[in-house]
Amino acid sequence: MLPKRFDQARPFATLGFVLLGWLFVPLVLKTFTRATFFEIQAPLTVADSFVRDLQTFWSNRLHSKDELLKAGQQVAGLAAQYDFSVQQNEQLQAEILRLENLLKLPSMPAFRYEPARVARRDFSGWWQRMIIRKGANYGITTGAPVVFAGGVAGRVTEVYRYTAVVDLITSPTFRLAASVAGDSRPISYQGGLNNSFKSPRGTVEFVPLDIYATRGVTKRLVTSGLGGVFPPGLSLGEISSLELSPDGLFKYGEVSLDERLGSLTEVTVLVPLNPEEF
Amino acid sequence: MSRLIETHRARNPRLLLFHAFVVGLVLMLLGKLTYLQFWQTTLYSEKARVQNQRRVIVPGPRGNIYDRDGNVLVGNRPRFSVVLNLAELRSEFKAEYKKIEANYAKVAPGDRPNDNQMARIARASVAQHYLDQLNFILNRHATVRTADLNRHVNQTLLLPYVLLDDLAPEEYARLIERLQVTSPLQVYTSSTRYYPYNAAAAHTLGYTGVNNDPEVEDFEGEDLLTFKMKGLFGRGGLEKIFDEQLQGETGGAIYLVDPAGYKVNSRDLPHRLPVQGHNIFTSLDIDLQQAAEKAMEGRMGAAVALDIQTGEVLVLASRPDYDPNTRVPNLAPEQDVEKSGVWLNRAIQGQYPPGSTFKIITAIAGLRAGSIEPASSTSDCPGYLMVGNRRFPCHLHSGHGRRDLVGALRDSCNVFFFKYGLETGPELIAAEARRFGYGHPTGIELPFEFSRPRVADPAWKKLHSLDKTWFPGDTANIAIGQGDTLITPLQAACMVASLARGEIETKPTLLHVANRAPQRTAPIGLPPRDYAAILQGMAQCYAVGTGRFARVEGLSGAAKSGTAQKGRIDLAWLVAFAPLENPQIAVAVVLEGALDDDNFGGGTYAAPVVKAILEAWQTKSERPPVKPVNFKVN
Repeated sequence: MLPKRFDQARPFATLGFVLLGWLFVPLVLKTFTRATFFEIQAPLTVADSFVRDLQTFWSNRLHSKDELLKAGQQVAGLAAQYDFSVQQNEQLQAEILRLENLLKLPSMPAFRYEPARVARRDFSGWWQRMIIRKGANYGITTGAPVVFAGGVAGRVTEVYRYTAVVDLITSPTFRLAASVAGDSRPISYQGGLNNSFKSPRGTVEFVPLDIYATRGVTKRLVTSGLGGVFPPGLSLGEISSLELSPDGLFKYGEVSLDERLGSLTEVTVLVPLNPEEF
Repeated sequence: MSRLIETHRARNPRLLLFHAFVVGLVLMLLGKLTYLQFWQTTLYSEKARVQNQRRVIVPGPRGNIYDRDGNVLVGNRPRFSVVLNLAELRSEFKAEYKKIEANYAKVAPGDRPNDNQMARIARASVAQHYLDQLNFILNRHATVRTADLNRHVNQTLLLPYVLLDDLAPEEYARLIERLQVTSPLQVYTSSTRYYPYNAAAAHTLGYTGVNNDPEVEDFEGEDLLTFKMKGLFGRGGLEKIFDEQLQGETGGAIYLVDPAGYKVNSRDLPHRLPVQGHNIFTSLDIDLQQAAEKAMEGRMGAAVALDIQTGEVLVLASRPDYDPNTRVPNLAPEQDVEKSGVWLNRAIQGQYPPGSTFKIITAIAGLRAGSIEPASSTSDCPGYLMVGNRRFPCHLHSGHGRRDLVGALRDSCNVFFFKYGLETGPELIAAEARRFGYGHPTGIELPFEFSRPRVADPAWKKLHSLDKTWFPGDTANIAIGQGDTLITPLQAACMVASLARGEIETKPTLLHVANRAPQRTAPIGLPPRDYAAILQGMAQCYAVGTGRFARVEGLSGAAKSGTAQKGRIDLAWLVAFAPLENPQIAVAVVLEGALDDDNFGGGTYAAPVVKAILEAWQTKSERPPVKPVNFKVN
């Protein structure tokens, strides 16, 4: 019979053994377990998201008719503006197509646009990421760019059956080749250590010396398209300050990002039509 | 049972002895520990520090070199490379090593590589794995240089290992987007020298070489094992002369390492970013410089232009030249380059007889000695002058006819200067040349200036020539700038600048200072009438004489052409200044040519280069108010 003291410590010993055992479990099994865990957890996340949608729906129903009418008028105005933009885009696209045919140019690498609802957001200092309610079931692939109305939202880093994890543009692990609007030279953009409830910010490096930006006179930062992942011209933010690097070769500075990144509910994933090119 | 043992222990004196022995040992250990901890702690801490810490030194980028308008003549170009942080790959090396070891397990021990070889294979394999990632992204087919990698691991493990160097901007953009932020593969930037105007002013700007042992200033850890990134040092031109100012401030970092030399994450260790060196603002005007070099395209020679008032050098061109961009970071001399003599900075190193430009000196010497009288001194030029029994020809074989000082300067009549040079005497002519700075280097801020310019006179010939007798023919020769007198184009430009100011010396400088005070040296010592005669002769030379091809429409000036021979090389000279009324720019051009070209001369070959410089200057400069002159030009 084991001593009484050991009996008391049995749960801790068991835990210790399990942890020790886990250390020696093959990597494949660990990855599988993690993925399975995420897949099991996914329906809960999605369900939670639907519940929140329902909650929002019912809270919206509490609005008075007057409020709804006003909102409806605003929406109608916006819809008219968007209709106009859509028409303009169609014209421009037709022109692009005509020029491509005329010059016998190959079409630009195309994406399929996959709108997705945000299921959960995690904007803590460590995990600047979010989970969207679409995954491999909609053909979303790892590395696919994610955009929203304000420009680039992030990049897909993990894809599961029904969900996908998006690394946000604000994350320190997010980096891409950007350029100042109207300038083709590549600049390195990277997310920063963003605290909750503060305006989102990123950093730029390797900015050519002849580019100037201050808080008063900002420069728009867009994707360069040179990296091969993001199409060119997508808005990233505004360069609000630049300083000379100590070695005098470049400038570095801060980028003010879109405030809406903190309250994203809908994003669009740009799924490459030919993933081999990306 | 235990009680029995206790009883036994208590009663056994040998056990007590044993206890005492153990206690003694423990006390000894404690004593030693105390000694080590309290008395030797500094020593061992220091030993541990030296053993566990490594110092990495990063040289600061060099300062820029600008022209007088703030255009960057020499800057730093970023050089993007992809580096592999080997210090982060220890576990991967180990895993690969085990894999390789397992693969060789069935091989006979004799045929199996030893541990060292397997470690090297493992390292190369891991590095190639990362390089393959880059190859995939950049569509390249690079392979790891195994020997290079092993040398790096053995000697400079803490420094990142360069996998791919000098990436194009598109490649760099692809990599920063595709490589993970936390990857051991990182895009690394270093600086290399960049010359935006390519070969322009190459000799003046100079070039750099690789410094494998950059200096470290005031950065702690001198006793630590130190790894140094390669820096640059000036090897020629301004890069060499102002090397100390241009050198950046070295940065550095101290890292904590494990016994195998791999980096261990640690904070609070000293770290200092490198800082760019001081910038140099030169007096060069890149527009004028390019104009001069373009006009000298395909020729061999030099052109110098000075700001007459301040002595600032506006142009210092030498042809043939080289593009310093093709020589960074490493200078790799090519045979054809060596043969063509591009390294010679002809503007300050070329040793040329001054030719007829020296007639200005002869004229001043004659005027000061009283042997030339502007109103009455004339010569009848039949195309030659007999000096003793030797015939000294004029360049116009048919003869110039009667010429006074002004006409002789305008038409560059040799006979006039033979005649009055002989009257003045070689000593006075040589003394005048020395007064104008022909006897010593100018002291410009450039290395390797021709340090022993020569003014020939009887004393010099006695000392340096085999035939020590000075003949009247020697005087005739030096009077027209032939013979043994040797000067540089920069000295010629300084002489013209001094003359234009009515002074005797100009100290040239390559440094630009805004609103620099005009130079003031001793006056020439000529009465205004005599001085005006020389200027009039030169002005007519520029307007209608031998220097007329240098004339720029709407710009008055003064010039003197010259042709000389040095060995089998013909030299075409032209010196000039402008505007005549308010001298601002002095120019001296010499071009080397072949003897078989009958038309070769300063007025035809060098004049277009002077014209190009003056035109560029006229286009660019704001004209100062014009003061009228009191003599006839045309």
